[in-house]
Amino acid sequence: MFGKGLVKGMQITFKEFWSPKATIQYPEHQNPIPDRYHGRFTLDVDKCIACGMCANACPNKVISLQKQKVGTKQYLTNYVMKIYYCLFCGLCVESCPKDALHFSKVINMNQYHFSDIPLVLVQREAPAVTAESEVAASKTSDKEGE
Amino acid sequence: MIRTQEYNLNFGPQHPSTHGVFRIVLTLDGERVVKAEPICGYLHRGVEKLAEARTYTQVIPYTDRLDYLAAMLQNWGYVMAVEKLMQVEVPERAEYMRVICGELSRLASHLIAIGTYSLDIGAFTGFLLAFRERETTMDLLEELTGSRMTLSYARIGGVADDAPEGWLDKVDKFMDQMPACIDEYDGLITGNEIFQARTMQIGVLKPETAINYSISGPSLRGSGVDYDLRKAKPYSVYDRFDFEVPLGTNGDCFDRFDCRMKEMRQIVRIVKQAIEQIREIDGPVRGKVPKVIKPPAGDAYAEIETSKGIIGYYVVSDGSPKPYRVHVRRPSFINLGYLDEMLRGYLVADVVAILGSLDIMLGEVDC
Repeated sequence: MFGKGLVKGMQITFKEFWSPKATIQYPEHQNPIPDRYHGRFTLDVDKCIACGMCANACPNKVISLQKQKVGTKQYLTNYVMKIYYCLFCGLCVESCPKDALHFSKVINMNQYHFSDIPLVLVQREAPAVTAESEVAASKTSDKEGE
Repeated sequence: MIRTQEYNLNFGPQHPSTHGVFRIVLTLDGERVVKAEPICGYLHRGVEKLAEARTYTQVIPYTDRLDYLAAMLQNWGYVMAVEKLMQVEVPERAEYMRVICGELSRLASHLIAIGTYSLDIGAFTGFLLAFRERETTMDLLEELTGSRMTLSYARIGGVADDAPEGWLDKVDKFMDQMPACIDEYDGLITGNEIFQARTMQIGVLKPETAINYSISGPSLRGSGVDYDLRKAKPYSVYDRFDFEVPLGTNGDCFDRFDCRMKEMRQIVRIVKQAIEQIREIDGPVRGKVPKVIKPPAGDAYAEIETSKGIIGYYVVSDGSPKPYRVHVRRPSFINLGYLDEMLRGYLVADVVAILGSLDIMLGEVDC
């Protein structure tokens, strides 16, 4: 009979009146963000050895870092991500040998000015090398050598 | 004296039913299409050329951007080609993770296909219902990979990560709910007489023409040609699953649409079997691959069945860490080849119905 399908369709639509809502009222309510979510990057500076593996892993050359030699170790002085070129693929996070680079759950990365968009994760001066710290560094390196 | 003449009509590039930026210059005689000239390239980004300046792993995020509705399937095709080149063995668990993630991607793509198709025809509720389930699919993919659309989940020699705890149970539960949802779409869209009147005997594609034009995917199977790579040349672990290949009979718009609808039920079957089997398999999800990927000089071609058709990746290596050449056989682009003849003789309103039934993805057409 012609129109049977139409009636069935109307029934399905009518049933939807009593089904639970599929939408939420954003931004008052938000869906929970999963642990693996690719949000804004965070860098654990203490763990970072400034090896530059993340910068090499990036397909778009997003990451630029500067380092300085302090004693025997490399000291990270500047770590900037040109986040506007980022694909959020996660290859940099995966490549980190010290597990220092992570994704966070922050999704709001909007800025008013273009100059604010680059994500500056580290910007600091390298500590001056004093005689004491040099001695300490050489001692630790001696111990490592043993 | 009154005389008639043909005129040109620009369909697109910015037209919602072209599903992207695609232009067809229609030559019309009244409301009948006399000639249709498809013009693509508005979304060209040069992915093949970009790949030459990147390492083998760095190409993976770029393949996501071809068919961004089923990104995992695009990743998979590429990594399969590189694995073939390097002769890497992929762990069994990784193969199953690829199947589950790939089939979920296919489901997400088919939900878009049927949802937007009903929107093209003028049924808005069907579109919303399809997007409701697509949202759940994308939430599951997000939990697994961290991204909703551009997953970048496949890696050369495996996948990026194992399933998080409890994820497989969630997928299993969703697959239990899915058949009831597909019944809903069937009742609302497929069974609707107005929808049938708009799509049946429209844009007929004969099986022999489909083969001659190298059309693949549900568009080919809608014409009744039984060719699905997952069955015809089983890759990965597809030979271990019991599923059917849905076929159409007339090769019209309705059959192509119905093929996708029936294929969704098969996806549910495959995923349920995969989850059952993966629970008994332990092990790594990454094969033994060197840190710097340097395949030996040579070339390899790998093809898989995506939601749009057969995608093929041809990778040439010169022994350096960067590919010498990457070529992609994009099903959406090839499926468009017959569009001109398919549209001839039909009304302007049918142009939308025919184009929608081919389910093209402009990211893939223009590459």
